[in-house]
Amino acid sequence: MLSLTINGRKIEAPEGCTILDALRQHGFDVPSLCHDERLKPTGGCRLCVVEIKGWPRPATACNTLVSEGMEITTHSPEIEKMRTTLLRLLAEHYPAAAIAKWPDKDFHRLLREYKVAPPERVGAHAGPCAFQDTTHPYISADMSRCITCFRCVRICDELQGQFVWHAWNRGDATEIRPEVPTLLASQCVSCGACVDTCPTGALEDQTILHLGTPTVWTRTICPYCGTGCEMHVGTRDGKIVQIKPALDAPVNKGHLCVKGRYAFGFNNAVDRVTHPMIREDGKWRRVSWKEALDCAARNLSETLDQFGPDSIGVLGSARATNEENYLTQKFARVVLGTNNIDCCARVCHAPTAAAMKAVFGTGAATNSFEDIEHAAAILVCGCNPTENHPIVGARIKQAALRGARLIVIDPRRIELAQYAEVHLQLRPGTNVPLLNAIACTIIEEGLRDPTAIAQRVSGWDELQKFLRSYSPETVSTTCGVSAIDIRRAARVYATSKPAMSFHGLGMTEHVDGTDGVKALVNLALLTGNFGKPGSGVNPLRGQNNVQGAAHMGCEPNNLTGLVSLEQGRELFEKVWQTPVPSTPGMNLMRMIDAAAAGKLKALWAIGYDVALTNPAAAMTKRALRSIDFVIVQDLFLNELAKECGTVFLPVASPFEKDGTFMNSERRVQRVRKALQPSGESKPDWQIICEVASAMGWHDAFALESPEEIWNEVRSVWKAGAGITYSRLEDGGLQWPCPAEDHPGTAILHSDSFPIGARAQLTCVAFEPKGESTSLAFPFVLTTGRNLYQFNAGTMTLRTPNVRLRRSDLLEMSPDDARRLEVEDRDRVRVRSRYGEAVLSVKITNVVKQGELFATFHNPDVFLNNVTSPQRDRVVDTPQYKVVAVDVTKIENAPEAYPLEFIEESDPALAPAALEN
Amino acid sequence: MEAETIERAAGANLETPSEQATRCHDVPRHLASFYHLNRVPVAGKFCNGTACFVARHLNRRRWAEAEQQESRIYCVGQCFAAPAVAVEHARPYMEVRARHGVVLGRLIHGPTRTLQSYASLSGYKALEQALDLSPGEIVETIEDSGLRGRGGAGFPTGRKWRALLAQSSPERHIIANADEGDPGAYIDKYLLEDDPFAVLEGMTIAARATGARHGWIYLRAEHPQAKPILETAIAEARAANLLGEHILRSDFSFDIQVVMGRGSYICGEETALIRSMEGKRPEAQARPPLPTERGLFGQPTVVNNVETLVNIPWIILHSAAAFHAFGFSQSRGTKVLSLNSLFRSPGLYEVEFGDPVQSIVDDLGGGLRTGSLKGLIIGGPLAGVIPPHLLETPLGFEELRAIGASVGHGGVIAFNEHTSIPELVHHVFSFGGYESCGKCTPCRLGSRRVEQIFSQISKNGGADYWDEVEFAEITAALHATSLCGLGTGLAEFAESILRYYGKELEPCFR
Repeated sequence: MLSLTINGRKIEAPEGCTILDALRQHGFDVPSLCHDERLKPTGGCRLCVVEIKGWPRPATACNTLVSEGMEITTHSPEIEKMRTTLLRLLAEHYPAAAIAKWPDKDFHRLLREYKVAPPERVGAHAGPCAFQDTTHPYISADMSRCITCFRCVRICDELQGQFVWHAWNRGDATEIRPEVPTLLASQCVSCGACVDTCPTGALEDQTILHLGTPTVWTRTICPYCGTGCEMHVGTRDGKIVQIKPALDAPVNKGHLCVKGRYAFGFNNAVDRVTHPMIREDGKWRRVSWKEALDCAARNLSETLDQFGPDSIGVLGSARATNEENYLTQKFARVVLGTNNIDCCARVCHAPTAAAMKAVFGTGAATNSFEDIEHAAAILVCGCNPTENHPIVGARIKQAALRGARLIVIDPRRIELAQYAEVHLQLRPGTNVPLLNAIACTIIEEGLRDPTAIAQRVSGWDELQKFLRSYSPETVSTTCGVSAIDIRRAARVYATSKPAMSFHGLGMTEHVDGTDGVKALVNLALLTGNFGKPGSGVNPLRGQNNVQGAAHMGCEPNNLTGLVSLEQGRELFEKVWQTPVPSTPGMNLMRMIDAAAAGKLKALWAIGYDVALTNPAAAMTKRALRSIDFVIVQDLFLNELAKECGTVFLPVASPFEKDGTFMNSERRVQRVRKALQPSGESKPDWQIICEVASAMGWHDAFALESPEEIWNEVRSVWKAGAGITYSRLEDGGLQWPCPAEDHPGTAILHSDSFPIGARAQLTCVAFEPKGESTSLAFPFVLTTGRNLYQFNAGTMTLRTPNVRLRRSDLLEMSPDDARRLEVEDRDRVRVRSRYGEAVLSVKITNVVKQGELFATFHNPDVFLNNVTSPQRDRVVDTPQYKVVAVDVTKIENAPEAYPLEFIEESDPALAPAALEN
Repeated sequence: MEAETIERAAGANLETPSEQATRCHDVPRHLASFYHLNRVPVAGKFCNGTACFVARHLNRRRWAEAEQQESRIYCVGQCFAAPAVAVEHARPYMEVRARHGVVLGRLIHGPTRTLQSYASLSGYKALEQALDLSPGEIVETIEDSGLRGRGGAGFPTGRKWRALLAQSSPERHIIANADEGDPGAYIDKYLLEDDPFAVLEGMTIAARATGARHGWIYLRAEHPQAKPILETAIAEARAANLLGEHILRSDFSFDIQVVMGRGSYICGEETALIRSMEGKRPEAQARPPLPTERGLFGQPTVVNNVETLVNIPWIILHSAAAFHAFGFSQSRGTKVLSLNSLFRSPGLYEVEFGDPVQSIVDDLGGGLRTGSLKGLIIGGPLAGVIPPHLLETPLGFEELRAIGASVGHGGVIAFNEHTSIPELVHHVFSFGGYESCGKCTPCRLGSRRVEQIFSQISKNGGADYWDEVEFAEITAALHATSLCGLGTGLAEFAESILRYYGKELEPCFR
């Protein structure tokens, strides 16, 4: 620690700390306009100058480091005079009206404080910045209020890595604007970081221009992907008007993506159902809660009596809280007496959980997002973070820009591939041979970590022999990747230490998904890339609480805490005071099979549109229709409800309830209620308790609050026992966190594995099975997601995000487009062995010839009509990533475009209003 | 981080220096808009520089042309013929007035553009000697010589080199700053054009002393003629194994490339120069880190002025003591002064430090051609003006600093009664405003505001009391809060005006 004096007061500050940080840490402050703690200090505005005894000139506090014995004066009359002069210069061509209208902007506050007003003098020249843009649905730009602090340029570069804003010209002609006339035409990803940092409101959120500024702020967790960004929800008159990132959040560090930042309009969508309904004779009828709950309870009880517990299935929601998912599985096991409980982890990362649990003993990410900044190399495998986990994507991009070496394994040329040293653009479905070839190279070229293998790993001899038949040269043709590139990738991963990997559904949604993950884990084990900062194997989880839903026990074979039925039985029976059913449960896919066979009689689906998102929709729908009684619990009358719902129970949205979510890196974080539940809707936990109570289980479900439920979770889940609500007030905690004085665990497997001292290398054989192309189905279609839309589109399609991405598009290589004689935006029919869908073509080099990619968000497109019923051999996860299809051009087909939702939803957000 | 770093990420570590150089030339539109000489030919342009401004009465038509042209150009290096129009073959009068022609020794006899002629004048003897010395010994020699940077700041060259030598990074750079555009100084232009090998040899010795492998000459867009000359010289040196791998069969390898500027005064500031070479917006950067710690492409870098580098071979050949024997006090060796066209005998003069400024006017310049001396601007307009009553001050870094002036780059601009003080202030601040990078508030907005005030004075014959207050306030803010030397230089100029010529300003503010 260094000691220094500020305005006569002695303080201490750590070495390497800037004067500004030292000032702020000790309750002093100096004005600043170009500083933002998310950015590298630049010392441009010069307002933060302070006097330092013995220095010839004042120094800027933001980028001057403290030194021993420094004597700093922050507000001498001379310094204050300088600041006034600078502010007067900045105000010279500033529109006075804006100051009165937006008094809270940083710049306006400073002008008031220093009693500086824009001059009314004739001839005061207009500012150089002329850029205006009101065409973007979320971001409004009026650069007549730009004071050239460069914060928008810097945050776009340094936080998001999008490089949209540029400084043009020089001197006082310096102007900030994009390379193109509008933001919509630029590479802007609408993250809103520039708006967030702007000190004048030259860049502003459209929402507050139309809906007013927030009056109340609530800190909570983003309701979209599994990154788990913390944010502040601003509300006014019972409505969300603005969302801002939490600056001190360890996950997102003051950043959000377009979904978290702006896509909140669904909360007030006109077609949101906020009252219970029962379907009679094909028509939905509004009913009271009592009638709906009685109907649900009665039908479940009757099914139980008539067909037994295993004739009923329950689906938990990856969008619901941990508390609610805990109650969901408790309901299935305690009230219904069945293990037929599952959640959407089945269709995404169940293979990851199974593979990593088998090898390490814990089926979750080994490291944290923080490790991105410590990794020398990052392997991105079958995931597209800049679109699907944009904050993680931005952090990886920044790491690459700082010099971390990046390897991308993906059939598509995703954005991160542009930053990668090696991009292995493999043929879809060939993860296993490719990863085996990387492992083979590591062994062959002596790049392994002998110490790690000697001390922490078993199965070395077998693997070494096994991999001989997987040399890069051998698998090159199968994978469609050159052997040289495979070797290069292996060298980068094995020699740049530490190296970490991220993977996604491109790894798991295959017939050999579990095998693929094991092959990936092999790489970490061979190179000693585990148990230390900047290393590990890290699945990116798709939904905000998919990690939590499965972890809370919404899986047929596991109880809360990923404990198997057998291991957990004793404890759970003690806490629940009732036997845990012993019949093995059905997972989601088996439930669909059972339904098709007429054996599933009732289904309760909580926040899960299985009709839209399950593959091979024709078969799925046929099966669902044969279920007698289906409870749909959701915000909207989704495809499942439309297809076969019997009772609809309206739920409170994530903004309308309390609880916790668990993100991809095992971090449990607090969700806080920003709004009262809309209409008659109720939080899921309350509904579950009420149904249980109506079925005679009042005592076991006499839980009055999310915290009470959480405390019950803690009593059955040892690794989470130390995570209390009061601790979560200070920020999230990563499990294992077994005791209240335990700090949580950022990195797993440092000293040993839960499975024992050694982790087992797996000999993963490649068995090319499943979908294959033929003359009739010559293309391989891969499905996935896109930045602007989220999964089933339930939420994002009801927001102006639709204006940023209209519908699902079929990505096609220019060569294929030429051959099929289709042009951009042409409508085509995509047909597989299982069904067909119609969508528009987007010609792009992102996909290779012979391969296609489409998103599955839009129910009007219903891409899952096309996907295949093939499943992972171990955990039944559907093979969404490979289906053989044919494409034919069709004329005059209208484009599916669900704009009506936002047009009606919120007048202020409707396109007409936006175009003002 | 800048957009251009995308490309860096795509393989910065794998890029060869020539690929990096290609990138230096290929800039996106927004970046190109920073510069005023993108693909604009310089030949035939009228100079707006300070020497031309103070000599405008000598050719009013030419000055009027300069004022009307689309993009202004501050100094084409022909101040001896001001007001000037850029022509290719103009040569100034040159003379050595020191005991030895350290810098102009060859130049006074005409151009030395071939390796053969350079070698016949003891060229590359110094490099041969340097190859027998250890890097530490060379650095020590330069330290002992007392050589200080000739580009303006006067930083001890040996100390800068030692800082680079101390770095651990294997990749280091030497940059010859051939973009010092202080209006009024033209020595570098003629060294680059007529004694190119001296620059190359100086750089090569600097590289040998500091362990740098990569050499760059960042050349002003205003001096396009130097480019083919330097490139030919580099090719010749390479062919003779004086550049490239294993120079003169030693274990020392080093090569040089020329990078063209695109028109921007601020690129003569070393941090801005480095950013310009990296394909970034060339804004001055706060220090630390110093370029010797983190310079070009994040690697340790020494930036030396051209004249400084030309001193190097002489010092190695003749010893540190021989060099130190010239000059006085803390200012050792010789300095080339560039005298403007208002002197009776304009041209380049190599002198020893220590003579009084008066002798520059009388003995070198032979007095003024027209009118009487009103003041001297030494080292460019971004420094204090020297009024006639201070001409006894000796030429030396500290000595001139003490009266608010500077040795700077050695440009000596005399002005007479044809230049009024408000006009001079207007000229200097429009130069400053035009060349400001725009990063820091006082320079971006303050220089323009002062220009406006004085433009009003010349248009309306005066400004009001509040304008006078504002002029003083902006001067104070520029002095105390500017990010780089451009803003503080403007302040020093304005302060000297207020101090020495205040009386002439008084009637301007009513």
